[in-house]
Amino acid sequence: MASLIGSYSLFFSLGFSVLILFFSFKNLKNTINFDNKLLSLTFLQLLFIILSFFGLIIAFINSDFSNSTVFNHSHTTKPLFYKISGTWGNHEGSLLLWLLVLTLFIFLFLISSKKQPKKYRVLTLLFQQIIIIGFLIFLIQTSNPFAQIYPVPSEGLGLNPILQDPALAIHPPILYLGYVGSSIIFSSVLAASSTNYISKEWAKHIKQWILISWIFLTLGILLGSIWAYYELGWGGFWFWDPVENVSLMPWLALTTLFHCVLVLEKKLLLTSWVVILSIATFTLSMSGTFLVRSGILNSVHTFANDPERGLYILIFLFTLIFLSLFVFFFFHKTDGQNNTSFFWLSKETSILINNWFMMYFLAVVLIGTIYPIFLDVLTSQKISVGPPFYHKLIIPFLIPFLLAMAIGPKLNWIKSNLQNKSHLLLLFAISLILSFLIIRILEISFLVNTILFTSAFYLFFITLRDFFIKGFKNLAQNIAHFGFSLLILSILFNNFLSSEVITNLKVGETYKSDELTINFEKIEKIKKQNFEAIIGKFNVKSDNELVDILKPELRIYNQPNIVTSEADIKTNLLSDKFMTMNLVQNQEYFNIRYQIKPFMIWIWFSVIIISFGGLFSFFKKKYEN
Amino acid sequence: MGCSAFSKKNMKTKILLPFTIVSFLFIFFILYVGLNRSNIYIPETVTNEKIPTFKVKVFNSEKELTSKEIFENDIYYLLNIWASWCIPCRDEHPYLMELKKNKKLEIVGLNYKDKVKNANNFLNELNNPYTLILSDTDGTIAIEWGAYGVPETFLIYNGKIIKKIIGPMNNNLFKEIERAVK
Amino acid sequence: MYGRKVKLRFFFILLIFVTLSLTIFLILKSLEENVVFFQSPSEIKGLPELNKKKIRVGGMVKNKSISVQAEELNFIITDFKNEIIVTYSGVVPNLFAEGKGVVAEGYLKDKNFFLATKILAKHDENYMPPEVKAAIEGK
Repeated sequence: MASLIGSYSLFFSLGFSVLILFFSFKNLKNTINFDNKLLSLTFLQLLFIILSFFGLIIAFINSDFSNSTVFNHSHTTKPLFYKISGTWGNHEGSLLLWLLVLTLFIFLFLISSKKQPKKYRVLTLLFQQIIIIGFLIFLIQTSNPFAQIYPVPSEGLGLNPILQDPALAIHPPILYLGYVGSSIIFSSVLAASSTNYISKEWAKHIKQWILISWIFLTLGILLGSIWAYYELGWGGFWFWDPVENVSLMPWLALTTLFHCVLVLEKKLLLTSWVVILSIATFTLSMSGTFLVRSGILNSVHTFANDPERGLYILIFLFTLIFLSLFVFFFFHKTDGQNNTSFFWLSKETSILINNWFMMYFLAVVLIGTIYPIFLDVLTSQKISVGPPFYHKLIIPFLIPFLLAMAIGPKLNWIKSNLQNKSHLLLLFAISLILSFLIIRILEISFLVNTILFTSAFYLFFITLRDFFIKGFKNLAQNIAHFGFSLLILSILFNNFLSSEVITNLKVGETYKSDELTINFEKIEKIKKQNFEAIIGKFNVKSDNELVDILKPELRIYNQPNIVTSEADIKTNLLSDKFMTMNLVQNQEYFNIRYQIKPFMIWIWFSVIIISFGGLFSFFKKKYEN
Repeated sequence: MGCSAFSKKNMKTKILLPFTIVSFLFIFFILYVGLNRSNIYIPETVTNEKIPTFKVKVFNSEKELTSKEIFENDIYYLLNIWASWCIPCRDEHPYLMELKKNKKLEIVGLNYKDKVKNANNFLNELNNPYTLILSDTDGTIAIEWGAYGVPETFLIYNGKIIKKIIGPMNNNLFKEIERAVK
Repeated sequence: MYGRKVKLRFFFILLIFVTLSLTIFLILKSLEENVVFFQSPSEIKGLPELNKKKIRVGGMVKNKSISVQAEELNFIITDFKNEIIVTYSGVVPNLFAEGKGVVAEGYLKDKNFFLATKILAKHDENYMPPEVKAAIEGK
């Protein structure tokens, strides 16, 4: 029943799309005022998508296995929480969620943009509807979440246990709010270009939408990263996996876009660049969907691959690209822009420089991600691009990037000089000495590392100083930049201070090295609702005679029958102790990995600070008034 | 000034536009080809595709059957593509023997690019789980089914593929089939 | 005729062009050095000479080939035509089992022995990396 309602709701929404298109065109031609019918229609469309989404959730809660999505991804013994989160833990359901966000955002856009020109609003709605229609047809045609199965199976296939995790339950919705949020930016920029409305007012208004998208995208990436850390048991936070990369690319574009919009808002410069970036952000989000869902990439995440789906998204993606190229080349006007040239030492220049670096990072990630596809198609060679590639190309350029981040905000718009800026030099000297000492203590001897530490500390101190000196002025920017310096510092320390032991042990055996002993005391077996757990008990003794008891788990899920390792992590402010255990098939030996990862929690924490900066900027208008 | 603006615009559309379009078309082409390459890989899906129609020779005889004659309605069929030279086929063989005991299910074998003698030896050695064996000496029937290799197994009901298993069967898949047939 | 503005624009375009080509050059060069090629046991057998670079070997873990000691783990990767013996000490993914697809990353000692530094985990029970599939099919 719920499935039926959900299914019909989708068709109703498609009907509303057609109506909205019709009335939008009518509204464009005839009246001067925005037709409020459009607002009601958009609301109704949103309502039906919500209905459809709830229909799917209810089908999941009731374990209605006549619905093929539920059959494929759920099971009666699954806890209720994961039945619900299973709704968007699969291809069909996640697309429905995607659609929900698309409609929700356009509705919010319409009610919050009442002061904007009518033509611009109608056109934004129109462009957004094109995206919505594309996704609706995609959903109904190739991945209907309400497809029926006959005969009705008595039991479902279950949700992949790795996805049965609280972080991963909220990760997709948040990430999608970021991904899909960029659709509004896309529609809006196309509308603004075609009505020649790229202006300071537009920048001010779209900035809020960029921020919303950016905050959610940042948090979404963070959640994914945390999940990979403890659930996949790889003991790291970033693996340059294609799936991670495709979420990083729109983030880089969005961050760049945000900075350019600031320039646009103040100086009406870089208009074409802002248009390109806005288009790129959503296009990159869509490409991410394509790359992940079509199975063209080989990655840790695999949705059930279906060539038909891949082809559809590919065609749809390129339709949108060519549509935006058309608008950009034939409607976007550059001659109206304010051509004031600017001095080399100014805020704009520093933003431009950082823009360049961001684009460079983006290019590295993009090429690293899709190069294997190109090589496979052109030469049939199968390759993979690993972390060394990214590290080598990105790390050295972080140095000038960090320095520009530190100094840039100190400069004035248009032109500035460096008088009365002696503290800049002083702080630099302090950072340099501090880094030098750290490098000596850690016994790492790379010039690059010293400079990297220096520039990260430099940004850290400068932003820290500004908290005290400037107070509320530029607070949002300062928080975000401070968070970024903290992130880089935590990553550096984490990287240089981590240590690990990998060994195979039988129950009762002890591993000894100079620094620590690991005693494998016993294993216990416990039966839970949907899995059996083998819990190991390990006593880890380091040189300071403190004994940590770690209890990593092996879970044998019944539906589907999969073994997963649950890491046991002891977290404190300074470091994480991380242990995973794995049973090698038919062997008495357990494969043990014990890691000490310093400052792990600071990595997560600093990303939260960064997004908090965005949040602050979003609400800035209110407290300034 | 107006002139320079004009030429700027001109340059933008004349050089940049074709360049951008060509590069995007190139990317589209590459991704399109790449997509078709990865197509072969479908891990394990519940499909609702109709079975292909084909004509096929029965193994060890000259008799020809059409797909309609083989797959009747209201009966579950398991079409298993196998070959004597295929090592994973040996691994999944016990599962097929076990499934043979299920009275609601008929197992149809499709002998793929094989020599009759070798195939008969294989069955003599490991027993025959199939109620009917079809012969696909040149591999064309397997292509009709969209199979990419051996072994591959299809669960069929009312002329539709309900489940497709690529690679050898394992305990989970075996249980899934038992459940689906129930 | 050419004012300062035009010169500036020209300079700007030149700058973009130069940095763009430098960037592309840098990325491509780095790619060349850092990509890991994927090979099947049969391809390795057919190599004219041993390569010192890191590679990935994919195939199936041969049945009854896994043996574990305290320090290391040995198993055989097969593509049903040729085999290669792999020695590995490190973390074993959950889905690593006999008769399943596997991708090992590491260095060749000779054409029969492979020293793995990483075994790749894929978190899908049905997952068989496309490369493995291609390797087994002998494409």
